[in-house]
Amino acid sequence: MDSLHAIGFYVSAALAGVGGLLLAFLRGHWRRGAALGLTGIGVAGIYASLSAGFAAVVVLVCYAACALLVARPDYRTVEQAVGGYWRQLGALGAALLLAALAYAAFRGDFAHATFYGGAFGSVSVGRLLFAHDGLATDAVGGLVLVALVGAAMAWRRERPRDEREARR
Amino acid sequence: MTVTLVSVLFAGAGLTALGAFIAAWKRELTAALTGLPVMFAGAGTAFVGVARFGVASGAPLLGQEVAILLAIAALSAVGLGVGLAGREGPR
Repeated sequence: MDSLHAIGFYVSAALAGVGGLLLAFLRGHWRRGAALGLTGIGVAGIYASLSAGFAAVVVLVCYAACALLVARPDYRTVEQAVGGYWRQLGALGAALLLAALAYAAFRGDFAHATFYGGAFGSVSVGRLLFAHDGLATDAVGGLVLVALVGAAMAWRRERPRDEREARR
Repeated sequence: MTVTLVSVLFAGAGLTALGAFIAAWKRELTAALTGLPVMFAGAGTAFVGVARFGVASGAPLLGQEVAILLAIAALSAVGLGVGLAGREGPR
């Protein structure tokens, strides 16, 4: 890997990390959407610098859609019933997870291989998705369809509580 | 300056832990849901890194395929979560 790709990787990783931190600490829908979009740009940059151009394009589209969904101003605010003590324990668990994963990455003895694919690899990706794993592609399409139809139905559904309040 | 599988896995570990932190820390459920795409991004980064640096034989792009699957699953989860939360106020 040349220096340009290495710089791209580290800059993109920093972008993704900053986006994640902003996502954790910013308030407001559109700010969180912007932070998630920044994370998506960083992750797409990581993938592109690792010669996964097609995955980078898909990630960019998916995370932009996620950011638009999160940035919508009119969805309900649902508060968790869990108290602050358990949330702090969860945050501590996340720190322990980081320590465990970082230790595993540092101590791991990985095999290194020469990469022969191109920067984008559209022919190989297309062959893999549509010939070798056609059924998995159909399953992913079905998953997206069910999720989006469910989201649309839940979005448009009249809630009983709303009906009660409207009748008063 | 170079990139190795260890540095890619470090970046993936950081993103995964950051997503877990967001999911655990945020009080609002729809905000906590945004930790899911960050966690999936970390896992996808690890898969892409293994596909780039560690696959000697077999399907070299399988890691990229899993990363694409994770991105689409993240979009589906966020769409479903925001849809289930519903709109604010009367329509």
